[in-house]
Parts: sequence; structure tokens; C-alpha cells
Amino acid sequence: MSVVVVGAGLAGLTAATDLAARGVEVTVVEARERVGGRLHGIEVAPGSWVDAGAAYLGERHTALTALMAELGLRTTPTTMTGDSRFALHGNGEGRTRPGRFPPLSAVALGELFDALDELTRAVRADAPWLSERAVRLDALTADEWAREHLRHPDARLFFPLFLGEMMAADPRDVSVLHMGFYLTSGGGVRYLNAFAGGAQEDRVAGGAHRLCELLAVRLGGRVRLGEPVRAIHQDGEGVTVTTSAGSLRADAVVVAVPPSLADAIDHRPGLPVPRSGGRTAPGCAVKVHLIYPSPAWREQGLSGWSVNARGPLLSTVDDSPPDGAVGVLTGFVTGREAHAFARLSPGEQRERAFEQAALLFPGLPEPTAFHVTDWVNEDYSRGCYAALFGPGDWTRLGPHLVAPHGRVHWAGTETSTEFFGLMEGAIRSGHRVAAEVAKRTTTEVTTTHERRDEHV
Amino acid sequence: MNVDAVSDIFRRVLENDEVRADSDFFVMGGDSLLATRVLSAVARSWGVELDFDDFMTSPTPDALAKKIASMA
Repeated sequence: MSVVVVGAGLAGLTAATDLAARGVEVTVVEARERVGGRLHGIEVAPGSWVDAGAAYLGERHTALTALMAELGLRTTPTTMTGDSRFALHGNGEGRTRPGRFPPLSAVALGELFDALDELTRAVRADAPWLSERAVRLDALTADEWAREHLRHPDARLFFPLFLGEMMAADPRDVSVLHMGFYLTSGGGVRYLNAFAGGAQEDRVAGGAHRLCELLAVRLGGRVRLGEPVRAIHQDGEGVTVTTSAGSLRADAVVVAVPPSLADAIDHRPGLPVPRSGGRTAPGCAVKVHLIYPSPAWREQGLSGWSVNARGPLLSTVDDSPPDGAVGVLTGFVTGREAHAFARLSPGEQRERAFEQAALLFPGLPEPTAFHVTDWVNEDYSRGCYAALFGPGDWTRLGPHLVAPHGRVHWAGTETSTEFFGLMEGAIRSGHRVAAEVAKRTTTEVTTTHERRDEHV
Repeated sequence: MNVDAVSDIFRRVLENDEVRADSDFFVMGGDSLLATRVLSAVARSWGVELDFDDFMTSPTPDALAKKIASMA
């Protein structure tokens, strides 16, 4: 039994590891010159890494926690001490407040969270397309929903910031069904929103990319880099995977790339239903890292956390390494702002980010370094955190989310109804697909044996 | 008079039937996000818009009902 896994992200490498452990002959082909996909590290000081992509985990992320234990990786808490800065009105200058609660009407935010609570209860997490009002919920965008449900100006102001932070989405890009599903799938609004006790409780010490690097080291020569897959052609005997470097033959294939990239591969026979829909948008996230000589905001009693109505940095968080070698402010540029920011020249990006950081945290020295990770325009990710399903997508694509296409099986965080869009979802999809492919082997072998028996 | 109604709001938001008049919202598992939902329910029921700090200083049904009564 031989299997080709397309994509050396967390899902593909998890699947390959499981399959190799079952004695399957596995080859992983990866388009980039690195493993990790949407997990990527930047070295900001010798031996100190920050996450340019996926970063956070919480205790409900059991598959991730188990994988980390197996790989000998530890967590770093995201503990925040100090006051927050908020620039939600006016000229973008920050205002200091204790805790993380924004200086907006609590009643307005309650209105938003009531409406989201009602929505998430109406969506079936295991199969959103089977929710009672699926067709109706899938016909509206989150933006249209907000206009209908949110009356208070503060609720309307906060909603796009919240959605940007939760799922890197512009409310105009996602259907209400997808929003409700995403929030439920990740453990509910409260869990997804929280640092302590929630989905942002910890980071992976040394960087989340270590997960993929360590998995790849174990797989050794089975992982081939710099080979984008062009075609997957099936015939009666097996599958031919054509890459930029040549072709591979296998009994089955696992495609572990985001939906729009899976669709970009030439499939024969063609896919009866595409992996992405006409309204599927890339997750809109650009992550910027401002590097300072030290986390000097802490001396002013600030946590580094800020939330801002105007871009580019809609929120910032202190991502300084534990040893304090440097100070790192991570800025999230999400939703609509991500597209606008991605269009700027590197010089303009730097200028805009520095300008805003200086308004938010006055008195800091000039950053010593600056990194921009634009996931929207990454050819081999096309968005981050995850694909955004627009109106009509779930009702059309949902029933086929994990259904194999002949010898081709699907993985990736977008195929997991549990923790969709998160590292946890990617790992669960990898385990699921490996079990699925292994079962296929068993069935095929059994069938062969049975035939032999008949001849005896 | 409002205490029972406020307790009901706490129970619904916290999804916890054990709430009593002197139960502290945050001890019962509440957080700032859930607190906003109590405050929106209060605004709907009594037309009183309290802010988050009001709730922090009156986190029990008893205290919150008194605050509502003083403002209504």
C-alpha cells in the first residue's frame, strides 16, 4: 500500500505520520521549500521565535496537546498583566483601561453576544448544512445579519473587530451559517474569545512551526519540498500524482491543502463537487511583528494588548520571548484592513504600522526590526486562519466535506467540523483521514483474500 | 422586588440553577463577556443602562437589583 500526501502542513504531516506508523509507504509532496504551511516561525533574536501564522492553543485542544507531548514540546502561557489600550473613537490615540474590556457600552456588547449566542445555538456544529434554518442562514452575509440584529452603534462598531479577531473575516465575506458554525466549532464565543481558560491560553514554546519541523524530521526522506502538485489522475489500478519535478504512483492520495488550492489541481476524473464555492474567500489575515530592544510598555504598566477601530493594526498583543531578549508587539491586520494593507508598498506598510504603534504606545523607541506576513497573498496558503465560506457554500459543499473522490481523500483544518480553522482541527483531520485510508487498505486486502479463498 | 427577576437572568446567562440572591456572578463562573449579556437583559427589562464597572461593584442579584432600583 502506497499513499501520496499533498501538503506538508500540520494536517498532511499528521496523516503521513499515522500512515507510516501503520506500515504504509508514504510520500509527502510540498510546494514550498519549507514544511509547516500556515504554521511559520520568525527568529526575532538568536534562538527566539515568534509565530507568523497559527499560534494559540487551549486545554480543549486535546489532539494538539497530545501531539506536543509526543514531540516533547511545551507550552508558554500567554499571561497578560497590565492595562490595555483602546483606540475606538476619534484620532487613533490610545486610551488606557484596566483589563481587556473595551470602553464601549456594555449593554451594546451584550446585545451582540446575545445575538451570537442565539445564532450558535441554531447551528449544528457536526453538520452545519443540516441545521434547521440552514438554507436561510446560508443565504445571508454576516454583514447583513449585523444590520438586522445590531441596533446599538457600539455593537455595530465592535462586531467587525470581533469577527476579524475571531476568524480573520470581513463580515461581507462570510455567510451567517459559516459564522455561527465557526464560533460553535471552536468551542463557542466565550471559549474562542478568552486567553486565560480559553483558546488563547498558551503558545507553543519555541514556536508552533516546531510541530511540523519535528514531524518532518521523523518522516525524513519521505518529505519532498519544492514540488507543487499539478495533477492527480486516477485509473483502475491506482493514482498518478504529477508534480513540477515528475510523477509519483500510489494506491491512494491524501490532499491536505486549503480548499481553493485543492481545486487548482487538475483532477481526473474531475471532481463532482468542487472543494470551494464561488463565494469562498481567503481568510484575511496579515500579521506584523514590531521588534523593540525590550518590552518597555510593561514599565508603563501596559500589557501590550490594544484594540483599535482604525487600521492597520486592529489589535496588538505582547509576544515577547520569555527570556526578555527583545520586546515583540504582534499586530493583527484582519478583514477589510488586510486587503488594504496588503496593497501598500513595504515602505508604506512600515510607516503606517510604526505610526500607529507610536500613537498607541507613546514613548517607545523606534522598532529595531519589522516583519510582515501577508497570508492573503501567499500562493500556497491563500489566506489564514482558514478559508471563509460565503453565502451558499456550506449548503453546497458541506455534504461532500470529507467524502473521498475515488482514491483521493481530503484533510486540512477546513475538513474538520471540530475546531475548524485551528491547529486542532488540522490535526484531527489528519488522524481522521489516516484512519479512513487505512480502512481502505484493510478492505482492499480483505477483498483480495476473499477472492483467493473462493479459488481454493 | 427585582431580585427574583435578576436571579433568573443570572441563571439563564450562567446556565446554572444554583444562583441565589447573594451569589457572586464571577464566583459562579461568569466573566466580562457574560456580564454584558446580563446588562443587556437588564436594559431590556427595566430600561436601565448600566456599565461594566457598575456590575463589578454589584455582582450579586441582590446588589444589582438595588442598583437598578436606585437608577430606574
